[in-house]
Amino acid sequence: MSELTISRRGLLAGSALLLASTALPTIGLAQTPKKGGRLIVAADSEPRNLNPAIVASNGVFFISSKIVETLAEAAFDGKEGLQPRLALSWERAADGLSVTFKLRDGVKWHDGKPFTSADVAFSALQIWKPLQNLGRTVFKDLEAVDTPDDLTAIFKFAKPTPFQLIRNALPALSSVVPKHLYEVGKIEENPANNAPVGTGPFKFAEYKAGQYYRLTRNDAYWGKDEPYLDEIVYQVLPDRTSAAAALEAEEIQLAAFSAVPLADLDRISKVPGLKVITKGYEGLTYQLVVEINHRRKELADLKVRQAIAHAIDKDFVVKTIFLGYAATATGPVPKNDPQFYTADVPTYPFDIAKANALLDEAGYKRADDGKRFALKLLPAPYFNETKQFGDYLRQALAAIGIDAEIVNNDSAAHIKAVYTDHAFDLAVGPPVFRGDPAISTTILVQSGIPDGVPFSNQGGYKNAELDALIAKASETLDTAARTELYKEFQKKVAADLPLINVAEWSFISVARETVGNIANNPRWAVSNWADTYLAG
Amino acid sequence: MNRLHRFFRTPEAIAGAIILALLIVMALAAPLLFPGDPQAIAGPTLLPPFQDWSLPLGTDRLGRDVLAELFHGARTSLAVGLAAAAAALLIGSVIGTLAGFAGGLIDEVLMRITDAFQTVPSFLLALAFVSIVGPSLSVVVAAIALGAWTGPARVARAEVLSIRERDYVAGARVIGMHPLEIAFREVLPNALPPVLALSSVIVAAAILTEAALSFLGLGDPNRVTWGGMIAEGRAVLRTAPFLSVVPGIALMLTVLGVYLAGEGVVESTAVRRSLS
Repeated sequence: MSELTISRRGLLAGSALLLASTALPTIGLAQTPKKGGRLIVAADSEPRNLNPAIVASNGVFFISSKIVETLAEAAFDGKEGLQPRLALSWERAADGLSVTFKLRDGVKWHDGKPFTSADVAFSALQIWKPLQNLGRTVFKDLEAVDTPDDLTAIFKFAKPTPFQLIRNALPALSSVVPKHLYEVGKIEENPANNAPVGTGPFKFAEYKAGQYYRLTRNDAYWGKDEPYLDEIVYQVLPDRTSAAAALEAEEIQLAAFSAVPLADLDRISKVPGLKVITKGYEGLTYQLVVEINHRRKELADLKVRQAIAHAIDKDFVVKTIFLGYAATATGPVPKNDPQFYTADVPTYPFDIAKANALLDEAGYKRADDGKRFALKLLPAPYFNETKQFGDYLRQALAAIGIDAEIVNNDSAAHIKAVYTDHAFDLAVGPPVFRGDPAISTTILVQSGIPDGVPFSNQGGYKNAELDALIAKASETLDTAARTELYKEFQKKVAADLPLINVAEWSFISVARETVGNIANNPRWAVSNWADTYLAG
Repeated sequence: MNRLHRFFRTPEAIAGAIILALLIVMALAAPLLFPGDPQAIAGPTLLPPFQDWSLPLGTDRLGRDVLAELFHGARTSLAVGLAAAAAALLIGSVIGTLAGFAGGLIDEVLMRITDAFQTVPSFLLALAFVSIVGPSLSVVVAAIALGAWTGPARVARAEVLSIRERDYVAGARVIGMHPLEIAFREVLPNALPPVLALSSVIVAAAILTEAALSFLGLGDPNRVTWGGMIAEGRAVLRTAPFLSVVPGIALMLTVLGVYLAGEGVVESTAVRRSLS
């Protein structure tokens, strides 16, 4: 029988054994990695397209990063914050027009064919550049990829491209897929998008809609002795409240991406056998942002935007909505970014009186009913926190006489309303900072982006000075000079408020104590889990 | 007077009437007792009930007063329940009367449409309707009425079928009244009592459907609803269960009250009929 069934009884029997074994002294539990075992993980969404080379998003990576590998992964202590995966080294030419990757030898695809530089060239030119949501920007000047031999890939750019940007883009944007499977037919309709084939430590085994994804061990993996696990099962638990109960009942062993609600963490951290881990998401910072539609004449006025910024109590947001598991934001780059962040920007302390004064100054006096004007507010539905912040923002705006009407939509309708139809005045969005402002941050304020591009500037904001700065930074090769330009960028955004950055947060994992080697890199949840193991 | 007397003879009816009266008082008093926006932040977050007497039922995750939300939620629940039931009864009795009185092809067409609506689960219909049109109070009312008018329509038609054969209807025809006038002035008023007996069931179902829609995030987000409160409390069910339990109890009592009062009405009219 090939079908996998996770029966409650089987699990109970298994967990009874586990319980018996953990009842023994468990000193040194997490020291030596143990081989074998099935890791059961909570999955809260079911992406249909599992090709990370096309859809570079965390929901896809969570599953497919174990199957399809990138050229390099983020690391806490590696050189330039990277550790090699499919590429062993990367070097740039002095003119900034080419980057040479030396590839790992002896790597095989899951179907047995050898991995070569042709696969890298194909992925880069046919997928990352034309099709990938993020690659379209980063690799826009990529002209050709030369493959002098099977283990060398030379990226040639039409315009000088900053090496820093390419390096920062490697962990998320450089998933390599097999050329021999993708060269026939349309790439978007390739069956491997739903059943990916890669070089990673785990192979895709099966997917049952509404139930689970199952990955099995790749015995021919290049990593010595890796992977340790035999299987990873992603149990689909769409109800966010059920993950905590499933962990306690030992039906699952890991819930990543804050599948356990923040409000439950305090309680769950006291449950014996479970651990709460806040590390392992440093490279995946989400930003809580108020998106502004500058087509509204009131919101086109800087004073009104400043007033809104002053009306938001960021400390309250961090303390009550994120229960402390977040940080207040000062601008478009998160505080935890080691390369670009600057605190030297205009700030907007919580000050209702000042906000009211600014609105009066702007000419929007309170009417007899105490209201100045009405707005439509669209909170993004992806996270509990974005929805709650929507409720909070409505109250915060009411305090300064702005009457906000909340419009709730499902994900698809929200994306259409905000990014295609522009049918919003304010929206609450959770953009991701991906280690370099050029990857997915400057796009939030840059002008000239076609309608319908999600998570981009669709608020009609246009600032020639800022556009010029972004353009200049994208061509500046010198790392120090480029970093300086992005500091300037942060100052300008904080001063002109094309959008309002409120807070920055990351995720929390909850796991059983038997799960080892958790959170050992800054993108752990979306890394390959080759060294993850189950003790006991 | 006599009927009222009979109504208050059954203990269920008394209980139902008391609960309903309390609910109506709650709904009417909400803007007086808790003026301003019930969703305004009123205190510390997740305050348990009975700790601070200015916030007797505690606060939710954003520090909003649960009691104020409960009172204002009663308004929404009652408004939606009554409006949806009224709309369903109106549509149902009009369609039922037309079908029953006209007969023939009109009857066939109208009853097949009724069948079509009855085959779709009414909650699914409401869900689809709200998610397409977008959540707001009037849309929610329309969505609930859309699935609830078929019952009244069938009952009204059955009644009309028997009434239209009565002598006074024939008499009305003879004196040259317009058929529509006969249908709505002579027949419908006499067909109404059994249709109205359905109202308690419809109100109760409408309140539940509204709560379920809000629970799924398809209620009007700018109004407090009990279903929405339960849904919000769900995220902290283990740490602050009162956030879901309090509106849950309110919802249960309301539906129970409506149902008991409705039973009382049916009972008292049934007694009257058997007496006559």
